[in-house]
Amino acid sequence: MSNIPAIDRASRWKTIRRETLRALAALAIALLVTFIVVLFTSKAPFEAFTQLLTAPVSRVRTVGLWIDDVVKLTITGLAFSLVFQARQFSMGVQGQVYIGALAATYVALSPLGATWAGIPLGITAAMLAGAVYGFLPGIAKAKLGANEIVSSLMLNYIAIELCNFLVRTNLPKPQAGVLTTNDFPDSAVFPALVANTRIDLGLIFALVAVVVVWFALYRTSWGLKLRLVGHNARFAEYSGIKATFIMVSAMTASGALGGLLGSMFVQGQTYGKLTVLFEGGLAFEGILVAIVARSRPLAVPVVALFYGYLRQGAQLMNIRTDVPAEVIGVVTAIIILLVSSSFSFGFIKKLFNRDPARVSAPVAAGGAAK
Amino acid sequence: MALLEAIGIGKTYPGGVVANDGVNLVIEPGEVHAVVGENGAGKSTLMKILFGIEQPNAGRLLLDGREVHFANPREAIDAGIGMVFQHFSLVPTFSVYENVVLGSEPRNGIRLDRQRAIAEVQELSERFRLKVDPLPPVRALPVGQQQRVEILKALYRNARILILDEPTAVLAPQEVQELFVAIRSLVAQGKTVIFIAHKLPEVLEISNTITVMRQGKTVGQVKTSEVTEKSLAAMMVGREVSLRVERKQTDQSECVASVEGLRVVNARGTEVVAGLDLNVHAGEIVGLVGVEGNGQAETLEAIAGLRSIAEGTITIANENAASLSVLERRGLGLASIPEDRIAEGLATGSSVAENLVATRLNDRRYVRNGLLDLKAIKAHATKLIEQFSIRVGGPSYAVGTLSGGNMQKVVVARELCEQPKLLLVNQPTRGVDLGATQFIWRTITDARDKGAAVLLSSADLSELLALSDRLVVLYRGKIVAAFVNTPDLTPETLGTYMLGLSTQTADEMKAALK
Ligand SMILES: Nc1ncnc2c1ncn2[C@@H]1O[C@H](COP(=O)(O)OP(=O)(O)OP(=O)(O)O)[C@@H](O)[C@H]1O
Ligand SMILES: [Mg+2]
Repeated sequence: MSNIPAIDRASRWKTIRRETLRALAALAIALLVTFIVVLFTSKAPFEAFTQLLTAPVSRVRTVGLWIDDVVKLTITGLAFSLVFQARQFSMGVQGQVYIGALAATYVALSPLGATWAGIPLGITAAMLAGAVYGFLPGIAKAKLGANEIVSSLMLNYIAIELCNFLVRTNLPKPQAGVLTTNDFPDSAVFPALVANTRIDLGLIFALVAVVVVWFALYRTSWGLKLRLVGHNARFAEYSGIKATFIMVSAMTASGALGGLLGSMFVQGQTYGKLTVLFEGGLAFEGILVAIVARSRPLAVPVVALFYGYLRQGAQLMNIRTDVPAEVIGVVTAIIILLVSSSFSFGFIKKLFNRDPARVSAPVAAGGAAK
Repeated sequence: MALLEAIGIGKTYPGGVVANDGVNLVIEPGEVHAVVGENGAGKSTLMKILFGIEQPNAGRLLLDGREVHFANPREAIDAGIGMVFQHFSLVPTFSVYENVVLGSEPRNGIRLDRQRAIAEVQELSERFRLKVDPLPPVRALPVGQQQRVEILKALYRNARILILDEPTAVLAPQEVQELFVAIRSLVAQGKTVIFIAHKLPEVLEISNTITVMRQGKTVGQVKTSEVTEKSLAAMMVGREVSLRVERKQTDQSECVASVEGLRVVNARGTEVVAGLDLNVHAGEIVGLVGVEGNGQAETLEAIAGLRSIAEGTITIANENAASLSVLERRGLGLASIPEDRIAEGLATGSSVAENLVATRLNDRRYVRNGLLDLKAIKAHATKLIEQFSIRVGGPSYAVGTLSGGNMQKVVVARELCEQPKLLLVNQPTRGVDLGATQFIWRTITDARDKGAAVLLSSADLSELLALSDRLVVLYRGKIVAAFVNTPDLTPETLGTYMLGLSTQTADEMKAALK
């Protein structure tokens, strides 16, 4: 029995390796298909494709754009991972981002924003607002049986429109008619970590968030309960776990992350102010990150790194060539399809080799398990 | 010539569990071939290989003497093999006939030919004596009928060889007999059946040939006519197994749990428990006897706090429990082994260690200040794996990778690793092998001997008769008879009450309803 931990670890590494290879293979296939699409649609397909693959690292500034995306994708990926692990399909990150951003904006533009409290208070307000906004679909589900997908999507619209409305009417702005607020005072804007790039304090927050979410899920009893509820809510009830409390708290915690992301947008180097529709649909891309990362918090930043690269590559390709950024939709669609289906290397092998060799020697590791 | 032959099959799962190791199987046409062996012996794995779900690492399959490879179930189905799984795979919201034809629908142009589908399903069900109404949704059917749907599904795809993986584990005795009638009619019409079961009397009754597996290997193949229950058991386990349990004399004066005027109404508004009065004392096992669906499961769930009650009181350890949460009841010393391990007894995606600690997340030994003590949780799991001989690679393996019987052991281990005050047990040995059945019976009896009050429900009358001190018979949610268990109490006596053919008077019951 003494050798079991070693086998445990070995098998865990095996799983990680298998999953990683699967994701990379999905990426390769997706890129191949994209290349074919570009080949048929572009006048200069090779140049466009080269842009897609290399543009993010072409300059220091573009590296900054890439890392900024990675940071934000990481947070939204974590927010989705949290609810997915509890098997709740709340889609509310986008709304939480807007509500969080609004809260941060009110703090930043208040007298307090000009003091040292501008950053910590802004973040706290954003996270609280996001948490409340995440709590709403949760409690509506627990008390009224409202489907969380529907209610969270509705709340997204409300948040976006509320933000829109307040920017136009209530919040101070440099001149009438523009759709942005005044710039925040410097004390309320995250300092840049690398000068002249968008890489700012948000990077640190993202790293901390990864560790905190991982710790919460795998080292606390709340996290274990949450995962048990996600695997089998009936069993959780039977064990004496209050499944509804766990569901609601998972959505609330995820909401706090969404709120944090809102503050990172408006208080970050990118904006330093509130603009309508500032989020540009990024929040939803956390779904892809979470799916590919299998809702594992430690895998989220790694996936975000790859995906952020493609995302920036596509946007730069859009600017520099005749291929629109929407091509990236092809890549993401294929990756999601491949990763979430049961596609495996066996499948690929069979594609290329119709009569695979059947009989192989019994696996050596087998002996150790007995 | 053999119809289907497996030669030297080897299968190692990712993670290193050797499930099959040089397995041989020879199936003759037109026979009922039983495959028996302990939990985790590799029976289901072998069947999954025959059906193309798992790929062997070694060995060959011959069908009609020709070598075949099944890359997926589709290819196996096309070759005439059908399989009914240990855990069903029907679409609950689809109707019976839709489930049967799903994937091979009769078409009218591009539309499903509904009339023809219904007619064909009806025709099949009459021909093979598998009575089931084609119209209602599958989720409205009892398990026994769902199983018939599974069998029909295989037959609809022209299966010549039908694999039934532990079909009787979920059936009541009456339903088992009905299944056997169907199997005989299948064989009479030229089909071949591979049948897995743990209950040897069933195996002896229905099969012609038996293959015995042990620890991933085939021990041998015998003609059913040439073995006895004893010799077969010895072949399976490698030692003699006796299923008798000795019970100690216990002090049964303290009433641990009592139920008064309990009424339970199910989601459809029908009364399933209709005014039940029952006391369970420390140191006794009370058997709830009844045809499935007469209120046994609901009574147990109501006491465990998993089902709301319409009326009545529930007292556990002198506390009014009706308004207590599951956790608070567990805190009073309640433990419970649920009927359906997959649906409510386990989280199959979680690890064995996590499943074993799930009911103890308020216990300072495993959780302090909201933080998990991973070392203690792992040690706890390792200890229980050893103590309950659960066959698994290690504490961090997902429960879903365990064999059916080993999953059950995880549930039993979790509920019985500490002495409970009140133990609720429903179908404790469903799908569990002989050795493990003996062990689980022993464990439940030990809990009783040490003073636990036990309420036991089982579809298996021999289990109830072997374990109980007293028996109460439920019919339509009411107690219709009660007995003190004595050697001359027979299944036949119980049967007449179970079917509602007779009822004891209050006076007759009194003695056994203390
Ligand atoms: N998907 C899987 N991954 C890893 N190990 C597995 C998997 N499926 C089965 N096993 C292991 O293979 C062994 C054989 O399992 P199998 O299900 O074939 O047993 P069985 O004879 O059907 O037992 P039972 O009577 O309990 O159903 C067991 O030790 C089990 O834990
Ligand atoms: Mg099995």
